[in-house]
Formats: sequence, C-alpha cells, structure tokens
Amino acid sequence: MSAVAIWHRYGRGLAPLLWGAGLVGLLAWLPRAEGFFRWLAPGARVVIYPRDDFTALLLNHLALVGVASGLAILLGVGAALVVTRPWGRDFLPLASQLAAMGQTFPPVAVLALAVPSLGFGALPTVVALVLYGLLPILRNGLAGIEGIDPAVREAARGMGMSPGQVLWRLELPLAAPVMLAGIRTSVTVGIATAAIGSTIGAKTLGDPIIAGIVNGNSAYILQGALLIGVLALTLDSLFEALTPRRR
Amino acid sequence: MVQSPSARPNRVLLVLGLALVAALLGLDLASVAPNRILPGEGVSLWVWLGPGSALVWAFPLLLMALAWRGTPRALHLSRGLVVVALASLPWVLAAFAASRVPDALPQARVTLGAGFWSLLFVLLMIWVELQARLKGATWLLLLPLLSLALALVGGHLESLALMREYASRSGAFHEAVRYHLLLVSAAVGLSLLLAFTLALAMRRFPSLRRGGFALLSLIQTIPSLALFGLLLAPLAWLAARYAWLGELGVQGIGWAPALIALVGYSLLPMTRNSVVALDGVDPRVVEAARGMGMSPGQVFWRVRLPLAAPVILEGIRITTVQAVGLAAVAALIGAGGLGTFIFQGLGQAAMDLVLLGALPILALAVAADGLLSALARLTASQSSREAR
Repeated sequence: MSAVAIWHRYGRGLAPLLWGAGLVGLLAWLPRAEGFFRWLAPGARVVIYPRDDFTALLLNHLALVGVASGLAILLGVGAALVVTRPWGRDFLPLASQLAAMGQTFPPVAVLALAVPSLGFGALPTVVALVLYGLLPILRNGLAGIEGIDPAVREAARGMGMSPGQVLWRLELPLAAPVMLAGIRTSVTVGIATAAIGSTIGAKTLGDPIIAGIVNGNSAYILQGALLIGVLALTLDSLFEALTPRRR
Repeated sequence: MVQSPSARPNRVLLVLGLALVAALLGLDLASVAPNRILPGEGVSLWVWLGPGSALVWAFPLLLMALAWRGTPRALHLSRGLVVVALASLPWVLAAFAASRVPDALPQARVTLGAGFWSLLFVLLMIWVELQARLKGATWLLLLPLLSLALALVGGHLESLALMREYASRSGAFHEAVRYHLLLVSAAVGLSLLLAFTLALAMRRFPSLRRGGFALLSLIQTIPSLALFGLLLAPLAWLAARYAWLGELGVQGIGWAPALIALVGYSLLPMTRNSVVALDGVDPRVVEAARGMGMSPGQVFWRVRLPLAAPVILEGIRITTVQAVGLAAVAALIGAGGLGTFIFQGLGQAAMDLVLLGALPILALAVAADGLLSALARLTASQSSREAR
C-alpha cells in the first residue's frame, strides 16, 4: 500500500495520536529549549516561562474545559430531551430561539460579564464556559432529535416500544452524530475561551501568553501559543476520529 | 394533532412570570456608591419603594393572569405589556438615581445590580417566547430602544456608573468604536475577496477542495489567543527585515496580526458558503441563460451571482458576528477597539469599565446579526421572485 492509501484508511485514527505525541513532545522539549528561545528573544532576561510548570498549566486547562464541557453536555442534552418530550414541548420554541440567538454573543463578552457577579478566578471561567458551551450542544441536540423522520418513530411505537425504549434505542442513537458535532464545536470554543480566562485569573495555558504580552517577552507568548494550538488540534482530531463516517 | 386556538394556559410564560417575581423579590435592583473606589450599597425594590412597590408587583401578576388565559388576545396584550415594561426600564433607573443619589456628591454613582439584569433578561425571554407564538411586529422592539435613547440624550442616566465611566473617556470610547468597526469591516471585506477567489478556484479545480477546506478548518480550530501569539514572531521579523513594512505599521503587535488572524478565521465560513452558493445554482437556469445568448460573463454576473447572493450573505453574517467578538480579543495584543476597555477594566477590577467594553460589543454583534440576516432574507425573496 502506498503512503497515501494508508493515510486514507487509517489517517483519521492516526491524527489524534500524532498530534497527541506532538503535545507530549512539546511538553518535554519546551523547558529544555533555552537556546532556541534565547535566539528568538535576545533581549529577555528569562526566556522559559518560570512561574508554572507547563504540564501543570495544561492539566489545569484541560480540567477547566473538561468540567465545563461535562456540565454543558449534561445540561444541553438534558434540555434538548426535556423540550422534545410531550410534557416539555411547550418550551421548545423558546429553547431553540435561545440556542440560536445566544451564539451571537461573543465568548469574550460572556467571560467578561461573568466577573461582576462571580469575581475573579476559575469559577467565573467555568460558568462562562458552561453557559456558552451549552448553546451549540442544545442546538444540535434539538436538530438531531427533531430531524428524525416521524415515520421511523411511529414505526417504533407500532412495534410496541415504550417511550423510554424509543428514547434509548432510537432517538439517542440516531441523533448522536449531530449531537457529537455540537459537542465538538463546544469543546473547540471552550479551549479558546479558557485560554482567555487567564485574564480573569484562571490558571490556564493562556498565562504564558498574557505574561509575555505584559512583559514584552515573545518567548513566553510562543510557548503558550504552541501548547494551546497543538492541544486544540489534538482534541479536534480526536473528535474527527470519533465521528462516524458519512455514508 | 390540531391545537384549539383558545384556552390553554401558556406554561412557559407562567414560569417566566415566577422568575420575574423571584428577581424582584430576592435580588438587589441596583447599588449606590459615593465614588469609584468605595463599594456600593445594594438596594432592593422593597427598600427603595416600600409599600409603593406594589405597583411594580402588579406587572408580573397581570402577566401571569394573561398567560393563564392563554388566548391569542391575551398573548397580544402580554406583548404590549412587555414592550411597555422594557421601555420604562431606563426611566425606572432615572427615577431611582434621582431619589437615591445625593446631589451633594457629584461622584456618586448607581451600579446596576443582579436584580436589574435578571429583570432585563427575563423580560427579553418573555419577548422571545411571545414572538415565537405570535410572529411579526418585531419593530415593536424599537420602542424600548427609542426610550433608552431619549433617556440618554436627556441626560437622565448620567449618574449610572456606566455613564460616569463613559463621560470620563468619551473620546477614547468613540475612537474605540470606530476602530473596532474598521477592523471588522476590513477583515470581512478582505476575506470576502479572498474567499470568493478561492471558491472560484475550487470550482475550476475540484482537486483543491479537500485540501483547501482541511487547511481552512485547521486555522479555524486554533484558538484566537494562540493564533495571535503565533503570528507575533514572524511579523516582528518581517517588520525588522523590511523597513517599508515597519513604516506601514506592520509589527508583531497591533493591527497587523489582528487583521491577519481575523481574515484567517473568516475564510472557512466565507469560502464554504460561497462554494455551496455557487454549486447550488440550478444548472437549468444557467442553461436557459446561455440559450438566450448571454456571454459567460453575463451568465456569471447577471444569473449565477444574484442567485447565489443569499447564501453568500449568510456567510458574511456568520463572519461578521464572529469577527466582532474576535476583534475584542485582539485588544490583548494591542490592536485597540472596544476590547481595550474590557481588559483595562479587568485589570483595575472596575466592572463598569468592563461593561463599557462588553455591552457595545454585544450590541454590535446583535445588530450585525439582525441587519445581515434581514438583508439575506430580502435578497432571497427577491431572487426567488425574479426566478418566477
């Protein structure tokens, strides 16, 4: 098999491994790359971001996004299910309007507006991430469930499935790919917004970038930027690999 | 299942009415501080008006009664009530300021509290719910905006902390708005040009599609803060290497990396929509135009492009809304714009300064979304009328 053919067959599974290996490689290389960064930023006194270990920042960043995405998935999918049940249907128009309109709000503004009520630190960041991350999940959840052919649902009911069975065996599996796409969007935006969370006191990979901007140290900026960029690409390629292929 | 048009309580409005009651009851409407530094003292509706607040209470109760009836007439009435309530909010604040801010303290200021924001949020939710049921008459929402403008122009809201922050830096504020708009329109214009060229190239050479879209979505995946950071070193190097670039203002920080990043993010939605739009034109229409003796250029400009316009406009809408938000992040790398106030305010823990940046950004995003989607609808109905 040629290299191209191998890539076509296994590439989607390989990509997250390659990006992930890149991420680990960066974590190992950055603290030792004093020579390179000294060349890049000759004026700076310290060239490797000293205040925190990169691995700790990465884990903290991932934890913030993980907690927020977990809550957003729970709330978003939950809300999508509630408003598509017969007893919750009254709330469907409001929910779908909110999910569509809320995404007009820039994430930075949401982040900034969380501070007056919640103060500085990780909490307002997580709250902003959840609120904002909820919207694409809710929207896609609704699109996924409402997109199911009513005839299919009717047939399932005709076969004697209970409402619970229809939900677990039919609606959720059929809506899953669309929901997964929403979760992917949500996580991508979450990683980017968490990085900006550094400006409101959350400890994330944005820290070296902000410190670099404040101190005019381009080496710090590049270190943070490389890690965030590769982290985002790793997670995105993971989602790509998980997404069922279109037939 | 056919729903009878009458006599079913609207449960959504009942819940929202309860939320309104909770916000009025449990949260501070606003707080009053003697100056910028000292923390304010929260004032709830009850503390402010005492028994007189019964007047305000009547509103959610009336709304819930109407929701209980649930007839179209009741819903129309509720919509009128909500518009009146929204329009009266600025004047409620003006009255609050007049009664609680002592004239002897020129620096005293009113900060909007959680109660006010919840009130505004729930009222807007009620509006959205009613619009979903009733449709039409979106122009009614102009009335609250007009009322706000009148209150602002009349100087009735001067003692709001937000307006105090504005008053002390109105020049910088106007400059920031102008700059924000300039950055966004430059990015959208440039990316439209690039994306359209790219879309035409992809249609001519289909083998470009896969790789092209893969590259564009790769750019889209990189978080904004990281992309700004990654552009910094190469741009600084270029500016140092070529003096004329430096003279143009190209540096590692400032407008250059901001513009490049904004264009980079805009390319994916813009190119995707252009390709989909051009692909979506019915080949029979194109065939008919050719049959009428139109030249290839005429076919493109007079048939293909007008038919593709609505979907391309949709791409411009997505891109513009996204760019308004991203331009705010660009303030971190010294690109100016409204984000400057957000990050300054966060640095000084001055929340009203944060609002001075965040609220106009929100307003810009919502306005761009509304205007461009209205434009897309207009062109869509026009091109479908012409096609007939």
